[in-house]
Amino acid sequence: MECRVAIDVGGTFTDFIVLVNGEIVTVKTLTNPTRPSQVIKDVLSSLGCEVTEVVHATTLATNALLGQEKLDLPRTALLTTRGFRDVIEIGRQNRPRLYDLNFEKPRQLVPRELRVEVQERVNAQGNILGKVEESEIEEIAQNLREKGVESVAVSYLHSYLNPTNEIRTGEVLSRHFRFVSLSSEVAPEPREYERTSTTVVNAVLMPLISSYLQELNFLPSFLVMSSSGGLVDVEEASRKPVQLVESGPAAGVIASASLFPGNVISFDMGGTTAKAGVVIDGNFEITTEYEVGGEVHHGRVVKGSGYPVRFPFVDLAEVSAGGGTVIWRDDAGALRVGPLSAGADPGPMCYGRGGDKPTVTDANLVLGRVGEVIGGGMRLKPELAREGLSRLGGLEDVSRDALALVNLEMARAIRLVTVERGLDPSNFSLVAFGGAGPQHAVYLAEELGISKVLIPPYPGLFSALGLLLADWRFEARKSFPRDLEAEFVKLERELYDRLKGKVDHFLRYADVRYQGQGWELTVPVNDVNEIRRIFEEKHLSTYGFVMSDREIEVVSIRVFAVRRRPLPQLSVVSGQGDTPVTRRKALLEDEWGEVDVYVKEKLRRGVRVRGPAIIEEFSSTTVVKDGWEALVDESITLVRP
Amino acid sequence: MTSWEIVSRALEFVAEEMGVMLKRSAMSPNIRERMDHSCAIVNERGEVVVQAEHIPVHLGSFSVGVKNLLQQVELEEGDMAIVNDPYVSGTHLNDVMVIAPLPGGLGYVVNKAHHVDVGGPMPGSLNPSASTLYEEGFVIPPLKLVRKGKLNEDVVKMIRENFKVPDTSLGDLNAQISANLVGIARVKQLVEKYGVTQVVEAWTTSMEYARRLTLTELARWPKGAGEDEDYLELDRLTRIRVRVEVSDQGVLADFTGTDPQVESPFNAVYGVTFSAVSFVIRSLLGKDVPTNEGFYSVVRVKAPVGTLVNPTKPSAVGGGNVETSQRIADVTFKALSHLMPVPAAGSGTMMNIMMGGLRGRYWAYYETVGGGTGARPDRDGVSAVQVNMTNTLNTPIEIAERQYPLLFTAYRVREGSGGRGRFKGGDGIIRAFKVLDRTRLSVMAERFLIPPWGLLGGGNGKPGRVMIMSGGVRREMPSKFSTVLEPGDEVVIETPGGGGLGKEEETSEG
Repeated sequence: MECRVAIDVGGTFTDFIVLVNGEIVTVKTLTNPTRPSQVIKDVLSSLGCEVTEVVHATTLATNALLGQEKLDLPRTALLTTRGFRDVIEIGRQNRPRLYDLNFEKPRQLVPRELRVEVQERVNAQGNILGKVEESEIEEIAQNLREKGVESVAVSYLHSYLNPTNEIRTGEVLSRHFRFVSLSSEVAPEPREYERTSTTVVNAVLMPLISSYLQELNFLPSFLVMSSSGGLVDVEEASRKPVQLVESGPAAGVIASASLFPGNVISFDMGGTTAKAGVVIDGNFEITTEYEVGGEVHHGRVVKGSGYPVRFPFVDLAEVSAGGGTVIWRDDAGALRVGPLSAGADPGPMCYGRGGDKPTVTDANLVLGRVGEVIGGGMRLKPELAREGLSRLGGLEDVSRDALALVNLEMARAIRLVTVERGLDPSNFSLVAFGGAGPQHAVYLAEELGISKVLIPPYPGLFSALGLLLADWRFEARKSFPRDLEAEFVKLERELYDRLKGKVDHFLRYADVRYQGQGWELTVPVNDVNEIRRIFEEKHLSTYGFVMSDREIEVVSIRVFAVRRRPLPQLSVVSGQGDTPVTRRKALLEDEWGEVDVYVKEKLRRGVRVRGPAIIEEFSSTTVVKDGWEALVDESITLVRP
Repeated sequence: MTSWEIVSRALEFVAEEMGVMLKRSAMSPNIRERMDHSCAIVNERGEVVVQAEHIPVHLGSFSVGVKNLLQQVELEEGDMAIVNDPYVSGTHLNDVMVIAPLPGGLGYVVNKAHHVDVGGPMPGSLNPSASTLYEEGFVIPPLKLVRKGKLNEDVVKMIRENFKVPDTSLGDLNAQISANLVGIARVKQLVEKYGVTQVVEAWTTSMEYARRLTLTELARWPKGAGEDEDYLELDRLTRIRVRVEVSDQGVLADFTGTDPQVESPFNAVYGVTFSAVSFVIRSLLGKDVPTNEGFYSVVRVKAPVGTLVNPTKPSAVGGGNVETSQRIADVTFKALSHLMPVPAAGSGTMMNIMMGGLRGRYWAYYETVGGGTGARPDRDGVSAVQVNMTNTLNTPIEIAERQYPLLFTAYRVREGSGGRGRFKGGDGIIRAFKVLDRTRLSVMAERFLIPPWGLLGGGNGKPGRVMIMSGGVRREMPSKFSTVLEPGDEVVIETPGGGGLGKEEETSEG
């Protein structure tokens, strides 16, 4: 029997989703931080089906940078323009938190003694003021080899305009090193710190990722999920491993985009974090601003807290809000939720695994929004949850307020990806998944004025499922293009050749601004003559004004080559019933009441369930508040009739 | 009944969203790249309810500036007022404040943005040789910028003819208006959802909460008073003296004994002095305290009128905001060092660089350069970073070179500039560039003579310096000057390192 496998390698667990004849089998194992590929080999050989395709997402890259994995980072050197070796250390010169006297900068990935300055210079017009001398690079290369350097990053000023000096340097370095990253190839765009940082991150990851991927390359079809939401092959992933840093979370957005047409907000709430992304007619928003290992504050990465990476990412806002998020009171007695999390281990108090701090799941249990028996037959201990929450005050008030706070925090994440980009969330449907997402979905919808909520099949596994739904997607870009149409065509031809013609279609984007502005808006491009109009529409909706007398400037253009993959058929279990299996006391709004509890697997397709009600299924629980109606199908659709 | 925590958290998000709007729609690199702006929501009495964490010197000043403004101008729904008079706004001329009332007399949304040029004789409107406000730039008293939803073209015209890069400034002003509009719309939604009573109650409670949290923390501090002084390097050394008293009721900083105001731009208006003291207290709290009026109510600042730290109009104040503010923070830390563990002195200067000239049109450029932070009581200082009263980003070299006639030659950590000690001070920065066009350069800096102090036997940081290389000749410059550079001249800036802390341990040989 043939099967397709999605593998999500996380910091603690490695999840396998195996798709055999539309049915889903899951396997969960512990991640082996030192030999992550071994676990994968072992599991795949024990599946008993013929693996035709493996799609892979991994947090290996991020965790290695964070020092969470027991991996030594490869010795990496950096070549810069003379005078600028410390750009990477100075960063943007700000401190990440204003009032924190004990702050530290992120650990330097390249120590100062391995940063080498090169006599060369290109000016802001792209003219070469100083040419690179091969003999100088040759000498540097030998010196770095003696110091045991494995990987080299090169980032010269203005190389995004004129890469000649970098290319020449790269040619010499390649004679000595297997791993060379040029900033003009990895991130050809202005802003020296961000470009250098991206290149350094790439250089550090290259030896790690390429050896890891090589070990798995025996598989018939092996694809890796990139942060931009597309799949890339092993060669591309090894060359630009920087694109793997957010490979996991993108999958949920892809899954939402593939399964639900129209405008949807993808909302994924798990044990420790909640993530929100936007999909418009099957296209997801892309951002290029990201910091690996950065701290997140109210859904936004704190500038200066991590390593900036300029590469297309599926635009996700993330908040520390999940089932395991801890509820507490501070010294002045204010109720707080997070950012601390009890994670999956020990987990919420009601798991009875030694957790001693009440969490969001505990509050949901106390209010009856979650039942005492959850996915896989695990029995929760409400008495422990009650004990923990009562310590903070009146059981009911604390639980209800804590959930309201956490909902607000998550609504904030959704606002970040909609309102702040000029989109009105009430024009979207909310796709809620992750173990905890469906419990909170209607509350979020009400907060944001959304009138339709979708709970996909297998909500708890939906994100991993996204790996099997994604298209192939390769990226190429160019800064300050002169002739737009010609440059787009050139990028497309490059990609076409690289992929040996296996391309279904191209997607074009342009980063545009008014001359004099410092931030660009990314707009999709169908016709280069329409760029101004589309840009101004977006500018108006985002900022509330346009400047019709001012010239626009296209800072960079970007092309994705997309190869479609057939969608797998999913078989979703259903029954013949249309009645609740039980009733229980629950507080869904302001009052306690007896609420009908349904089991999704027992319900007939097409059944309508009126709120207040609760629908339980294998990996999740959906709350249907009063005033909402759920149409149960393969997915559950919640509307306000 | 929704708990106050929920409404007040929602309000915090509003202030942040205003900041995002301002940054993303602004025209000047100073705001869009360096994020030299701040946003807040205040109640009907001008008390700060919530502010987003932006620039410390702005933030403390809202508490003073808004109350001043409300005494001079009456705002109705749909109006917005503009002001940059430092004696009202509480910072300096460059910081243009725009404020708008919330519906139903609830309060106001307000933001401040540092405009790179607000007129006057010098590019960047920071004039090292100004002795009055009038030699710094154009003073805008509280005026209506928007009346009943319509832009007041008179104000716009006045700005267009007086600011030296008006297109950029008017673009930034547009962004400031947009930020306030977003703030108003969001607060309206909150009121619709929770009702006026609950929103107002949440505001009040969140202030009480901040006050309580601050007092709880202060209760753990040793009680008593510490007193010390530090200096500015003006024509002569000018003294700032402070006595900081910590009691169960709060903190009182008394600047009696500080030198009289000066005939140069280093006078710090009261708002700046208040900001600097509250910054120090807020940092030492080490807790996640909302910096609203509840927190500010615990900090009292006594600054005798007519002194360097509370001058009278029309004394010049441009440098008071950017340099004296740093020294006030230093001396407040130093006074507290007699009571409790604090860090050694950081670089203590913002190293303000102002440049401009005519290249077809007038161009103006402003930047500040970070330095080393002082060693902390249990660890080394941090190198090459903004210290204390500012936290602006740098302008990327590739952006600056595209926009201005500059060619940068170095941007490096200034090795060995941090003070020695058990814990070392952070190192400063070296930043150097050539000008490609005839350019007026002004510098306003400090800590060239008196280095950042070490603590408990730790060494001092290295002082800063600026050099100009012109036709093969190297000139070492003072900490404040203005000069004209010819094409090809090179400017090398070295910022101070932070002080060390504790005696360096003897390393025994063998």
